[in-house]
Amino acid sequence: MLSFLRIIKFSLQDIARNIWLSIVTVTILLLALFSINTLLTVRVVSDNAVNAVKEKIDISLYLKPEASESDITALRSRLSGMPEIKAVNYTSKQAALDSFRNKYRDNPEILQALRELGNNPLSPSLAITPVDFDDTANLVNTLRQLDSDIIESRDFSDNTAVVAKIQSVTNRVNEIGLAIIAIFVLTSILVVYNSIRVAVYTHRKEIEIMRLVGASNFFIYMPYFFSAFFYALMSVFIMIIIFYPFLTLFQPYLEVFLAGYNVNLLSYFVYNFWPIFGAQFGVIFIITLIASFFAVRKYARV
Amino acid sequence: MISLLHVSKSYSRRNKVLSDVNLHIKAGEFVSVVGQSGAGKTTLVKLLIGEERADEGQVVIGDWDITRLSRHEVPYLRRQIGVIFQDFKLLPKKTLRENVAFALEVCGSSQAKIKKIVPSVLKIVGLEDKGGRYPHEVSGGEQQRAAIARALVHQPRILLADEPTGNLDAINADEIMELLLRINKFGTTVILVTHNKEIVNRLNRRVITMDKGRVVSDKVHGKYLL
Repeated sequence: MLSFLRIIKFSLQDIARNIWLSIVTVTILLLALFSINTLLTVRVVSDNAVNAVKEKIDISLYLKPEASESDITALRSRLSGMPEIKAVNYTSKQAALDSFRNKYRDNPEILQALRELGNNPLSPSLAITPVDFDDTANLVNTLRQLDSDIIESRDFSDNTAVVAKIQSVTNRVNEIGLAIIAIFVLTSILVVYNSIRVAVYTHRKEIEIMRLVGASNFFIYMPYFFSAFFYALMSVFIMIIIFYPFLTLFQPYLEVFLAGYNVNLLSYFVYNFWPIFGAQFGVIFIITLIASFFAVRKYARV
Repeated sequence: MISLLHVSKSYSRRNKVLSDVNLHIKAGEFVSVVGQSGAGKTTLVKLLIGEERADEGQVVIGDWDITRLSRHEVPYLRRQIGVIFQDFKLLPKKTLRENVAFALEVCGSSQAKIKKIVPSVLKIVGLEDKGGRYPHEVSGGEQQRAAIARALVHQPRILLADEPTGNLDAINADEIMELLLRINKFGTTVILVTHNKEIVNRLNRRVITMDKGRVVSDKVHGKYLL
């Protein structure tokens, strides 16, 4: 315990003596973290947008009004047996009419027109949910070729092109983001390596004396590894302090941009606080530790 | 206490710095190792503190064969051997007391032990009143005393002094030699590496003379021959 406290003391002395270098190191780590979190934000937004668009994919088969219940049940069973279909929901004529009336309950003109018709003009329908939204095109093809006398019309409002576009943009952003992250991670390794190298250099006389009087390698090296831990901790801590106000400011703009979609970045980052920032701390700590290890191994042999 | 048996060491094929060195130093002896620059004196010191390893032969301290000492064992060896150098190797931003305490701190000693030992070793070297001063505030002789105090904190059985008077004037050099003799009287083996002729001749103790990596003379009451 005593040795541990002394290691922390020596480490904090190192950081204080090279304060500007420590600030630069933390800043570079911070930039790396910021690029990671920005990419994560883009990912969350695009995933939400893709899911929202997918939810609007409507694959429905409209049936003839005179179709018997047994024919409808048979068709429904046939569709449910297809491997690419997850669920088939049947809406009867009456249910469709009730839904229509409910939807336009505030529009007396439409309701009046419906009354004047005298009968139910709506058809029963089967709403189909695909197993894989990304494979909707194949399902649509299969349904187009489906042969059944009771099918009156087929409605495939195909949003796959929109989904594909969003995913294409997201993938491009991911590729660019990963390249930026790679540059920052590499820069972080070099900067931390240099910081520890300078720290070792400024303490070369102390290290020489430590060796001379019988200090263990553990005691000589550990302050530098603790410095790496400190850099990682500080950078993640500052990142958290900066990032949450940033999200709070960004959220209203996002809501305007994605009107109609329920995308709440702040609650996502609050709900996933530990997995996100815990993992980031772990990764940054490992990076700084590796850089420190090589710097200490090379330069601390006085 | 210390045995070197057929020890050879070279840094390159052409540069053999120690060649078939045989030495036996008993516990409590005061031995001067003399020789010109390049005679192999410093390499001998480095072998004894585990900084270098012999290419051939055997180095034994007490019952401990340190010839093939692992890196992890070196700190334990150095806690048993106090070392002082010509350039004192004190930390300028620490007081003399802090410099001495530093040797205990980095070896994991408790605060209570540090508070007990540091004043006592400062007293032994006559610096009990100057512990709060920084190295640049005291004389060279006092800096070397502080270095000796630091070397004594682990109560070593051996004290290696590598040119301890090299940076000192005659008066300070004499005081340091008196101190080393006093420490030797307490039972600590002292190995003095020097090329200061007057000091060696005045000591009238055992003198090992080295030349070109070999022991050329070993006299119980020796003089500086070269």
